[in-house]
Amino acid sequence: MTVAVRVGRSVVASAVWLGLLAVAATIYTSGGGAARDLLVQELLVNLVVVLGLQIFIGNTGILSFGHLAFVQLAAYGVALVMIPVAAKATALPDLPLGLGDVELGSLSATVIGIVVAVAVGAVVGVAVARAGGLAATMITLAALFVVDQVVKNWTELTKGAGGLSGIPRLTTNTWLWLAAAVALIVAHAFRESRIGRFAVATREDEIAASAVGIDLFWPRWIAWVVSIAVVALAGALRVQMIGSTNPKQYTLDVGVLLLAMLVAGGMRTVTGAVVGTVVINVGNEIFRQLGDHYEIERLPELFLGGVLLLVMLVRPGGLLGDADLAGWLPRRTAAPAVRRDAAATATSRPTPPVPVDAERAAAETESTAVAAPVDEGVLTATDVVVRFGGYKALDGARVRVRPGEIVGLIGPNGAGKTTLFNVVTGLVAAQAGVVKLGHDDLTASPPHMVARGGLARTFQNLRLFPTLSVRENVELAATSAARFRPDVAAPDVAQLLADGGLAAVAERRASTLDYGSQRRLELARAAALRPAFLLLDEPTSGMSDRESAAMVDQVRATARNLGAGVLVIDHDLGFITRISDHIVVLAEGKVIAEGRPDAIRQDPAVVAAYLGRDAAGVS
Amino acid sequence: MNTFVQTLVDGIGRGSTYALLALGISLIFGVMHLVNFAHAELITVGAYVAYFLSTRGLGWWALAPAIVVSAVLASMLTERVAFRWVRTASPFTMLLTSFALERLSHALWQVFVSPTKQSFDGPSWAFDTVSLGGIRFEVHDLVTIGTTAVVLALTAFVFRRTLFGLSVRAASEDFDAARLMGVRANRVIVGAFAFAGFLAGVAAVLTLMRSPSAEPTLGADPLIKAVVAAIIGGLGSFSGAVVGGLALGLAEVVLRGYLPEGVFERLTDAFVFVLIALLFIARPQGLFTVRSAERV
Repeated sequence: MTVAVRVGRSVVASAVWLGLLAVAATIYTSGGGAARDLLVQELLVNLVVVLGLQIFIGNTGILSFGHLAFVQLAAYGVALVMIPVAAKATALPDLPLGLGDVELGSLSATVIGIVVAVAVGAVVGVAVARAGGLAATMITLAALFVVDQVVKNWTELTKGAGGLSGIPRLTTNTWLWLAAAVALIVAHAFRESRIGRFAVATREDEIAASAVGIDLFWPRWIAWVVSIAVVALAGALRVQMIGSTNPKQYTLDVGVLLLAMLVAGGMRTVTGAVVGTVVINVGNEIFRQLGDHYEIERLPELFLGGVLLLVMLVRPGGLLGDADLAGWLPRRTAAPAVRRDAAATATSRPTPPVPVDAERAAAETESTAVAAPVDEGVLTATDVVVRFGGYKALDGARVRVRPGEIVGLIGPNGAGKTTLFNVVTGLVAAQAGVVKLGHDDLTASPPHMVARGGLARTFQNLRLFPTLSVRENVELAATSAARFRPDVAAPDVAQLLADGGLAAVAERRASTLDYGSQRRLELARAAALRPAFLLLDEPTSGMSDRESAAMVDQVRATARNLGAGVLVIDHDLGFITRISDHIVVLAEGKVIAEGRPDAIRQDPAVVAAYLGRDAAGVS
Repeated sequence: MNTFVQTLVDGIGRGSTYALLALGISLIFGVMHLVNFAHAELITVGAYVAYFLSTRGLGWWALAPAIVVSAVLASMLTERVAFRWVRTASPFTMLLTSFALERLSHALWQVFVSPTKQSFDGPSWAFDTVSLGGIRFEVHDLVTIGTTAVVLALTAFVFRRTLFGLSVRAASEDFDAARLMGVRANRVIVGAFAFAGFLAGVAAVLTLMRSPSAEPTLGADPLIKAVVAAIIGGLGSFSGAVVGGLALGLAEVVLRGYLPEGVFERLTDAFVFVLIALLFIARPQGLFTVRSAERV
């Protein structure tokens, strides 16, 4: 999709939500009373916070309890620069940092509040983005407690548990509506942006993301910083709506309430965040009124705990799952749109992209290395040693693949084939040995740098981006190629889908495909990187003979179109001998034989490794 | 010297409760990769059971076993009604499920009992002092340390010598392999919850002995301390949890005693959390790789 379409969809979807909310709010408040107006304000503030949470949690899949810490920082930042000097002199006589003499207007105070929160957030974000997973969640929890303790105890600045009051208040809701509009657009646009889609890839599968060249750190960190900015906006406005702030507004309990809003609707989409916020806020209010009526205290608490538990047990993906308004909007997208998108990126670079069709034609007529993205680059791994504890998985293994060549890697279970792949692609660190692509040493490179260098791989037990569509799976790799491999021609997503026989199922979720199609999708995704070498780990495992024969053709065609060399592991000897130009046999971490397929079949050492010494002696 | 020993005993006493709770959290993490944020609610359950029984005129010697039994049952109940259904879900879902239970527990006590604190009579001897070798100790500290030592010895025996304990340890190493060896998943997990409930019940008795009162959010503070202790020790590591709990208790007492007065002294907890965060930054994977690395 072009940038214009993506921005357009974000704006239209945001406008629809804002319109619906405005109509609902107008009808609701026309029924009377300042109390109803307050509820609308609360809903809008919560909406902005939840959208901020969605940007990070929804896209990266990392649970954060720490966002309220930054809402709090922004709120206190605003309060400290907005409270009138005269009021500060009596209420906060010992203000440090010369804050006693500062009195700013609403706009500059809001900016300062957000800047303070983002500055601190950017530092904490480094730790969060580096850690990932549960460890990241625990860091966010620690951040929440540290900020809470500092605010409660630095009484000269914050007046501790009592909090600050006397902040000049906003008189209209206009700013809140504006903030909601900004948050909606930012959340939509982030999901559609390149970095946002990379973040989603890291959520779906960290290893698969790095295998298509996506660094785990930057998408997470940027998602974190953007989301902190949005929640800080909410904090800065909220303190100006109610005129006071205290630590009770930012506890873990409040954080869980906001998380409930996010996950109730479905955290992976903006639609889910909006619907969840409305459902929980309305439900909360209904139960509060019921509680007042029957004189039961804390009834909304019961509602909240119940809803959260029910959603987790029954629909952990949220009420709406992945249903998304932005996705329902007409997909004004022609199939080759990604190529245009990529071309737009590439035109700013000195090397214009080679037209894909022309290149393919060239590759077909002149066969091997001519159109190879990396000239004369040979992939070599030499003397690789890997130990897992006392077990030597690889013991001086080596392999060499020339551009355009298809090399088969075989060996009994536990021979170290996949470990060798993992060493070459940077997933496992070798104790000794060298991996080189042409003149580039890839030995200590992390997986995403190996992928950017031109090595794409598939996985023995399939690593797709399961909740994304088939097209998005391939598009992600294509986007990554356009960004990180500017020297190669932009891939044609539609063509890759057609080549893999996936065009008819392009809009389906990857996880719903049958097994053979998932394998073909993984190959198409790897090819979308336009790699110099493809590493395929058991591409026919679990396939029928017919599918496996078709796989020979797909691998051959893909390699020819890319001009890529192929290193392929498989247990199906028929498949390997049909497809390979050259075969390497591993056993117990060592190369025991290599050569042409027909020669390998007769080699006594190979027969012995597969069938035992006696069998070798007999034959 | 006397103050030093007293500080030490105070710290170990405080750390004992953390250790018992952390051990339960670590145990459950080991068998199902759940960081159970509802774990300390078992203390609240025990506290309310003790409160209700004390209004019926029962004394401390009847309350203490009732607290432990109720914690065991409540722990098994959470497994049956909630955690069993998310066993194969992502850690994210499991974590939020435990948070939901925590919130639900708070709300249930608030709505159906009372949001305010309910006090009852603890043992009359808790704050008596005894003199050992010229140093004065409070009885509750000695009882806490003694009980914890006995319970930990029992735990060590269970996990080293009984079939149940070995099954749990095997399941913590590699659940799938353990199942293939004939370990029954349900029994191990329910058993782990029951044992974690027992440990939390003992922790509840020791806590309530000092401050005999029940309130809805009683579990909030010990929970955070226990999670932190379990994390310091490395989730899933049993001896780690004990060391983590004791270390945290000692660190709190020592920091409070020796940090310079003023802002720093008031920020003891903040310091502890900064240290935890640094620990994660240094070893984000290390702390959580209890199971063998994912196969690719």
